[in-house]
Amino acid sequence: MSEFVEAVDIEVTVNGKTYQRSVEPRLLLVEFLREELGLTGTHIGCDTSYCGACTIHMNGAPVKSCTLFAVQADGQTLTTVEGLATDAGLHPLQKAFSEHHGLQCGYCTPGMLMSAKALLERNPNPSDKEIKKQIAGNVCRCTGYQNIIKSVHAAAAEMRES
Amino acid sequence: MTTDMNNSLYELPTESPRFVGQQVRRIEDPALVSGSVEFIDNVTLPGMLHAAILRCPHPHARIVSIDTTAARQLPGVVAVLTGEDVKRWCNPVVTAPEGWGAYCLAVDKARFVGEPVMAIAATDRYIAEDACELVEVEYEVLPAVPDAPAAIAADSPLLFENQNSNVMLQRVYDWGEVEPLFERADHIVRETFRWNRVGANPMETFGCISQWNLADNSLTCRGSYQTPSFMVLGRSASLNLPSNKVRIIAHPHGGSFGGKGGPRGTDISALLSRKAGGRPVKYIEDRAEYLLAGGGQSWDRYYEAALAVMADGTVTGLKVKLLDDQGAGAEGYGTISVAKPLAAFTGPYRIQAAQYDLTVVATNRAPTFAYRGYGPPPHNLVLETLMDSAARELGIDSAEIRRRNYIQPEQFPYTIPSGNEYDSGNYPEVLARALQMADYEALRAQQQTARDEGRYLGIGVVSTVEPGVFDWNAYRTAGVQGVGVPEGARVNFDMLGQVTVTVGFALEGQGQYTVAAQVVADYFGLEMDAVRVVCASSDAAPPHFGPGGSRVGVALTGAVLGACHKIAEKFRRVGAVLLQCEPDDLELAGGAVRMRERPEAQLGLADLAGTMLARSDLLPPDMDPHPGATHVWTPPGRTEPDEQGRCKSYLTAANATHVVLVEVDPDTGVTEILKYVIVDDCGTRLNPANVEGQVQGGVAQGVGAALLEQYVYTEDGQPLVSTFADYLMPTLHEVPITQKGAVVTPSPFTPLGAKGCGEGSIHITPAAVICAINDALQPLGVKVRETPASPSRIWNLIREAGT
Repeated sequence: MSEFVEAVDIEVTVNGKTYQRSVEPRLLLVEFLREELGLTGTHIGCDTSYCGACTIHMNGAPVKSCTLFAVQADGQTLTTVEGLATDAGLHPLQKAFSEHHGLQCGYCTPGMLMSAKALLERNPNPSDKEIKKQIAGNVCRCTGYQNIIKSVHAAAAEMRES
Repeated sequence: MTTDMNNSLYELPTESPRFVGQQVRRIEDPALVSGSVEFIDNVTLPGMLHAAILRCPHPHARIVSIDTTAARQLPGVVAVLTGEDVKRWCNPVVTAPEGWGAYCLAVDKARFVGEPVMAIAATDRYIAEDACELVEVEYEVLPAVPDAPAAIAADSPLLFENQNSNVMLQRVYDWGEVEPLFERADHIVRETFRWNRVGANPMETFGCISQWNLADNSLTCRGSYQTPSFMVLGRSASLNLPSNKVRIIAHPHGGSFGGKGGPRGTDISALLSRKAGGRPVKYIEDRAEYLLAGGGQSWDRYYEAALAVMADGTVTGLKVKLLDDQGAGAEGYGTISVAKPLAAFTGPYRIQAAQYDLTVVATNRAPTFAYRGYGPPPHNLVLETLMDSAARELGIDSAEIRRRNYIQPEQFPYTIPSGNEYDSGNYPEVLARALQMADYEALRAQQQTARDEGRYLGIGVVSTVEPGVFDWNAYRTAGVQGVGVPEGARVNFDMLGQVTVTVGFALEGQGQYTVAAQVVADYFGLEMDAVRVVCASSDAAPPHFGPGGSRVGVALTGAVLGACHKIAEKFRRVGAVLLQCEPDDLELAGGAVRMRERPEAQLGLADLAGTMLARSDLLPPDMDPHPGATHVWTPPGRTEPDEQGRCKSYLTAANATHVVLVEVDPDTGVTEILKYVIVDDCGTRLNPANVEGQVQGGVAQGVGAALLEQYVYTEDGQPLVSTFADYLMPTLHEVPITQKGAVVTPSPFTPLGAKGCGEGSIHITPAAVICAINDALQPLGVKVRETPASPSRIWNLIREAGT
């Protein structure tokens, strides 16, 4: 840490666990998660919030963690891709992406999953158009998106049934 | 759509494969969907430092002085690297053609905006970047060469003082009697094109961690390397290290598409590690660095082309004149992209003769690199647009003119004028299926109705050939040497019968580890869960190249099958000892070695492996006790190029037809894709889901190139692209949902009959979309001759035409 900047104490709950850390005010939230907490499932793709690889949930809403400071998460509740699976297994979205080839390199996938999760939590049966609108802020360079849409539909169906 | 498997599966010892040819789940996915894959930026080593690079803001500038005094005093800064160090320790990077490479950091002068000028390693990245801001560099700005036409001007400033001009390569290929064919032609169709720079832009940029071991003067680099074995050779040459003292550990990477780059970042972090007493140094390229100066810019071209056509629509000759802008040197091997079109120069057509007039130049733009497709996408746009122009001039339907000119199924293997041999195909069938799926006649009727209503609908019907399984010989034009690219795999049983496949390349998204597991599981009658696929570091891996040039699915299958055959032989020899018979009495079937005549007399593979590794008392002393084997596959029948560059280069020729319906809004210039139909033939589909994933992903990149993406430079050579706000990546809104169909014509030359299929869609999609747009614009009397066909470009075309 630079000696010229005064650190700030923050308390953040991530995936159900509460952390207290002292951070530089300029530390980005995504780097706090990755470097301080070791939660490296959230990826950095563009640094400018266009690609969505860094999407996480803050208090249940999707946010791009590359354009937030860690200090802005003080007192907030976060969920990252590491918080999706439970002891019972993978989240329906994770299973559906695998089953329907909704990923190739997988780098954008954590952000895709978090954006899709936010959609399905408020709309359990989205149309193609609603899926496109929700995920338009997440860029995938591998798949051409068709199987991502298919995967979100499949996960929605499974979640509606369970 | 699934397809019937073909009988070339004879190389698997089973008549009913359970996995090969099936849409199995990828073994790669569980870790990827849980966010637990070890991408390089997720790795932290003890004592690790972080690098930041200071980059030149000018297209062309002499470095007068660099003052790092203040930067060195910043707490946390451990090492500072400048051109002086690099000049002392390194060589300029090796290039093809030779002599067009720079050092990893600018020495004396910089040749493009974003060229590294100095670098710092510090205890964290924030401090390293702070320190870069404290560095004072004095530049003497030099006159720049902003684009290719400027590079060949008489008074053009020299980029490389060791060269006489900015021309890297200039020659004319004549394949057959081109001029007489043009003289005899009933029609000659001519076009000019400008293809602007596009690039790979994988979601993960390049990253690495380098560690210089000062005790034995060896180097270990971990990173997102697409081609580890070539990284070893390159680092050995640039850093003056014996090649066996460079160890590359490839990590899974977040996409590559050829455009991962890495030599400069690796060399810089390696030298910083050397200066930091051997501490590991991580360098993670950020997106702005990638867009400005990374490994992703490709295909910056000016074309003039002509087609000789007879009155009946027979196309007899093709002339292509290309002026290609490589940017500031050949360090990224972008030169290969002008050579690769030789492998399918005349597309799927029986064109008798062709001419390729090539001029490849250096400019003060960023150096160009490989990008998926590696050159043919612009070439195919040129050829396919000419085909449409010819159809229009002769009053023939655009699908019909293609059908009349196809190489026929019975003509394979077919040698094209530029020398390559196509293995197999059924182009008329692929076209027919595509037209049927698209309901082509209805589309034309819909177009007519729309035109009557004053709307501008257009249809593109485009066919291309995708050369697959690349070979070095294809690139002799660019100065590349060698014939035959190896791919190796090591397959080992442990004593419990579990299998590990070791390859030399890391995961990057195409699902090849799944393909390896499918083949091994079917070969030995195992569950896929019993097969693990791992990547070894470069010093432990079998000889390999890895993904690239639509090769690794085919090449890996060959390597894995070869290793499996060798193991099966060993199992039969051991089985013969245990069953007291001859090896020839035994066969491998159903997960066991059994007697052909008495199948109930059999031994499980775990029993055999366990005996080999733990019961040497049961075996003769000279028997190989290793239940494993390595096989290195090379493509058969490749040949040395002749003086006109002609050779058997790419082993396979896949084929596709795309039918696209677009609507262009003349008031806004916006193109909307209304329908997109694909039929492709890449031989045996080892994993149909993988194939379709490659097809759809290539469509996305092709749509990007056709409509959105461009590395914009100003007239004086300044790049204007530094974020995804400037470089427009296709999203769900722009990429069409496609209907896909398949024809299966197995390759007679490859294991299991599969063909390379990773690049076919990007080869064809830009042409298909642009041809559809031009069809839509026809009533307005304008034509797109520059990519991308952005709204502003189309709107200006319409406005300038005054319609």
